[in-house]
Amino acid sequence: MKGKGALWTIFLAVIVLALVFVFAGSGLNFEYIIPKRLIRLAAIIVGGICVALSSIIFQTLVNNRILTPAIMGYEAVYLMWQSMLLLVLGTQGLVTIGSGGNFFISSILVLLYSWVIHRWLLGNGNNDIYRLLLVGLVLTMVISTLTQFVQLRISPGEFAVFQGLSYASFNRAQPATLLYSLVALTGVCVVGRKYLPELDVLALGRDQAMSLGVNHSKLVGLYLALIAILVAVSTSLIGPTAFLGIFVANIAYALTASRRHRLTLPTGCAIAIAIFLVAQFLVEHVFNYKTTVSILVNLVCGAYFLLLTVRVRGTL
Amino acid sequence: MITVQNLSKAYGTKTVLSAVSAGFPPGCVTSVIGPNGAGKSTLLMLMARLSEPSSGDIFFDGKPVKGIPTSEYAKRVATLRQSSDFNMRLTVGELVAFGRFPYSRGVINDNDRRVIDESIEFLSLEPLRNAYIDEISGGQRQMAFLAMTIAQQTPVLLLDEPLNNLDMKHAVQIMHALRRLCDEQGRTVVLVIHDINFAANYSDHILALKGGQIRFNGPSGETITEALLHDLYDLDFEILSSERGCVCDYFTPRSGV
Repeated sequence: MKGKGALWTIFLAVIVLALVFVFAGSGLNFEYIIPKRLIRLAAIIVGGICVALSSIIFQTLVNNRILTPAIMGYEAVYLMWQSMLLLVLGTQGLVTIGSGGNFFISSILVLLYSWVIHRWLLGNGNNDIYRLLLVGLVLTMVISTLTQFVQLRISPGEFAVFQGLSYASFNRAQPATLLYSLVALTGVCVVGRKYLPELDVLALGRDQAMSLGVNHSKLVGLYLALIAILVAVSTSLIGPTAFLGIFVANIAYALTASRRHRLTLPTGCAIAIAIFLVAQFLVEHVFNYKTTVSILVNLVCGAYFLLLTVRVRGTL
Repeated sequence: MITVQNLSKAYGTKTVLSAVSAGFPPGCVTSVIGPNGAGKSTLLMLMARLSEPSSGDIFFDGKPVKGIPTSEYAKRVATLRQSSDFNMRLTVGELVAFGRFPYSRGVINDNDRRVIDESIEFLSLEPLRNAYIDEISGGQRQMAFLAMTIAQQTPVLLLDEPLNNLDMKHAVQIMHALRRLCDEQGRTVVLVIHDINFAANYSDHILALKGGQIRFNGPSGETITEALLHDLYDLDFEILSSERGCVCDYFTPRSGV
């Protein structure tokens, strides 16, 4: 199962999983159950694609396979905003703003944050990605600590709401937010597609890529901006996914035995969607909402990834 | 072909290259030599456009390179740095194929395939074609990277210490290949090199830097002399000539260092 073969197998699996997810135990109820499930399915697809694309491209840019965009503090900004919202307006505030409003404001905040740190650290020809990562990591910690302070001030009831927001969940998505996400995602894909071959070359490192005619700083700037959009969308839509992208990316590398983005990106998307589908299905039908998607995903992916390392040792 | 004029580079307040002007004769192997910290690699990196000069200009065929887009420059000047450690799993063949990127953007056509085959053949790398580059020796890896640079089919090649960490046999293979690139294909090769004997025996032209400035610059026959080398390295040189070439002996100084 290598390369294109792996891709088709996974696509087929995703379609089967999606059908099972939508129809299993639905009693073919087209008035309520199935439309609700279709919305969740759409959230899973959009979220999965966002997580996979952002993680794989981010790993290429920073030339590291154990990082995800979460290290840049995007999700920390989202969580801080949610906790501030609860502190200032209380649970009532969330209702007033509505999930659409919350989606918009948190996306814009994440984008604003990324714009500021990119300008600050990558502006005027500066091209030090490690500095960017370091500052991102420090900011993540600072912002998370601030969030913890805020958490201590809010009531236990509000804290429960906050905790709900800090896990990935597909039940939050609304048709309207899904539509906005889809538009943003399509835009990112159209722009990002143009430089896919250059991404492959970036993996050779900055100097070699430049020697092969790739405008490194321009490309890094562009893709970091696209990643920020993807993370803003996925975080606002389904919540923080933290290091889930690591599993998705590395499973994609292992299954395709390749680092060509033309293969790894679609495979990664399919893997993310498949993982989310399985996790959400288990949450709904087996655990009856007594556990969260995040916990299941980490458990299942962690186990699967360890299995992969053992099975295909040396080719990772 | 490629010339630099009043080229300076400073990192913060430290000047590593000051007002260097030089031309690199086309179709020749030019060795850039000098002690550590002389600014050799900096000069090469500026010419490769991997870093920006603080002042001064670089010209390619009389045109300032600032005006040439990166993607076009890659068809004229290919650069090989000391092979970095990257965590990609590639075969030698796939790596060499990257050399066609400036032309193909990843979509390899028949002509690209032919050039890749020729480059691999040029360095006799056929047996390693399907080997993974993280599983071959350092010398073989350097040959594979050189093959990629050759496949770029540029009139100018810049190499930063291509013999680093190589055994004698691989070093000779690399230098021999560079010589053939000049003699058989008329390419211009500029390399930074520490081994004075390889520089003396394989290059047409020597450019010596010290303290960010040019010490001497000329055909190797005129520049490989005991006096000039002594001045450059502060070492006691004795140049022994034979019909196979010359040996610069500096290993056991007569008067101490």
